[in-house]
Amino acid sequence: MVGNDTAADGRKPLDTTIEVVTPENIAFRYQLAGPFRRLPAFLIDWLIRVGSFVLIVILMFVIAGLLGANAPLAGLLGPFVTAGVFILYFFFSWFYCVFFEAYFSGRTPGKWIVGLRVIGVDGHPISGQQALLRNLLRTADLAPPLSLAGFSPEEPAYQFFFIPTAMVGLVAIVCSRRLQRLGDMAAGTMVVIDERGWQWPIGKVDDLRIPALASYVPADFRVSPSMAKALAAYAERRPYLSPGRRREVARCLAQPLAERFGFRDDIDPDLMLSSLYYRVFLADAVPPPDLGALARFSPLAKDAVVPAAMAAPVAVPPTGAR
Amino acid sequence: MQWSLRPWPLRLLFHQRVPDERRFLERCFMNVAKILEQRRVQWFELEQLCSLLEVRGRIRRGSADQISRFAALYRSACADLALATAYQLPPATVTYLHQLVARAHNQLYRSRQSSLARWGEILFYEAPQAIFADPCVRVATLCFFGIFSLAMFAGYQEFAFPGFAEKMLGAAQIEQMEASFEQPIQGSMSHYISMSAFYIQHNTGIGLRCFAFGILLVPCLLTLCFNAAILGASFGYMARPESVGGENFLEFVTAHGPFELTAIALSAGAGLSLGMGWFRTAGLSRLDSLRTSARRSIPIISAAAVLFVLAAFTEGFLSPSPLPYVVKAGWGIFSSGLLMFYFVVLGFPRGGPRGT
Repeated sequence: MVGNDTAADGRKPLDTTIEVVTPENIAFRYQLAGPFRRLPAFLIDWLIRVGSFVLIVILMFVIAGLLGANAPLAGLLGPFVTAGVFILYFFFSWFYCVFFEAYFSGRTPGKWIVGLRVIGVDGHPISGQQALLRNLLRTADLAPPLSLAGFSPEEPAYQFFFIPTAMVGLVAIVCSRRLQRLGDMAAGTMVVIDERGWQWPIGKVDDLRIPALASYVPADFRVSPSMAKALAAYAERRPYLSPGRRREVARCLAQPLAERFGFRDDIDPDLMLSSLYYRVFLADAVPPPDLGALARFSPLAKDAVVPAAMAAPVAVPPTGAR
Repeated sequence: MQWSLRPWPLRLLFHQRVPDERRFLERCFMNVAKILEQRRVQWFELEQLCSLLEVRGRIRRGSADQISRFAALYRSACADLALATAYQLPPATVTYLHQLVARAHNQLYRSRQSSLARWGEILFYEAPQAIFADPCVRVATLCFFGIFSLAMFAGYQEFAFPGFAEKMLGAAQIEQMEASFEQPIQGSMSHYISMSAFYIQHNTGIGLRCFAFGILLVPCLLTLCFNAAILGASFGYMARPESVGGENFLEFVTAHGPFELTAIALSAGAGLSLGMGWFRTAGLSRLDSLRTSARRSIPIISAAAVLFVLAAFTEGFLSPSPLPYVVKAGWGIFSSGLLMFYFVVLGFPRGGPRGT
């Protein structure tokens, strides 16, 4: 059932993804979470744990104080509250994560905020036993503790404080293929990135020059599947690149195409790929925009005498296309 | 025969497949936006059903219609994922689909909820058998009780081993311990209640820490032996006739001692048997062997957890109570007998259908 890396042809991407093959022979991928995503989740959980513990303790003492004067067995109230604090501390420190991971299918509040989830290595949601094991073993993963007494031996309070260095867990994460700490190894779990949410994957066309240029792409030009994929990937990442970088990346594909279509050679490569993308993915779904004044300009090299509206640095104010 | 067959495949190819393929490619290429628009409705529906089912236990409340609808939606999402390359879906959508299918898959193949009967079997059949047969439990128990009794003896014999208990525990801790047991248990229940809560928290913590460090083996033994020595030394010191509050101490620990000390030793044993998975691989890879041994150690740590709970109840209600010492000692003896029965009678290796 567990098929890690079915790509036996050696073209497996060098990435922190793991592939799980289901009985239906569907392979889906999970992206593993490394220590730098898990540390914030751990710290948030720690803060929540400490914060809620302090809050509950204060609340307990306030209630005890309010009841204290006229309650029966008033003398026993204080000790019972103290006892409750100890028991509460015990449960908070050992079972906070167990509870959340077991009942909210592998997410503690910290993991939920950071966008992580614990799942079994075969892709199943974790069971209560697994949650218990991996969280009890956290103590071993956080070892060795660094005693504060080393910094100032005279301070008596420092004797009781230890900073977990988590070296054991880090080494285990580095050594394992699924980025598992010891607790994960024993319980058979892994932590994956669990970002949900739909975003409309088709890029918006906000530049009127794009449909204008697309109308000059020869009608008999067919895009191969791999090129369509490359165009989609480019359009997806384009917003995260600076204009200069966009041109640099796009040039590899845009230049030979521009030569083939007989376009001017100073055409903006980014604009070129965008219009090809528009042509492949959007032209049918979007009503053809009104090109307005742009309709008169031509990007073709043979019409180069016409004032160049398509050339790279031209600043046509972008107007909404739809 | 031959002439009638030959032209057909060609004609079929020409008339049916080629135009179909072209239409298919047209559909795939030109209408990604339209496809997405259509399919998205179902994907969202599946997503909503997933979040409905993800709240644990809700599945029973989901109607039959919803569940069969869920299966249909899951299948079509799987088909979409399989056809993602043919549809030329954008990479972001493929990622989204991967997550959606994974999520739905997890709801379809969710883990079996553990039943009460299963826990009964773990606690009353598997755990004693495993404890009796496991050499790691023997090592841990020997280490713990051996060092505990040695330290107790050394702490008690102040002339044969002068200064042992004082060095082991430190003057400050001895003072604190004597102060906390100064008052007699009869009449100062309030004092002992908060103290027993502290000891429950502290000693159960020791046990769990021993279990956790078991995966590294050496730190487990270290923690176990260290705490055995500390506990033994304080028992020995408090048993000295001249120590302050020694009587109260012994009266306090009698009732819950058997449960609690055994539970600490047991949880260390569970930890050790977990950690031995690194070495006793029995032909598996080390990782798989570790997972197997972790699964094997679960009955033992569950038994230890039950003992901790019993000890906690004893410590919370019986030990600080003003009941006469006979009751507490009786409970201590009774609990030791119970443990013996559990480990030996229930644990003795049996043949039979489920025999180990």
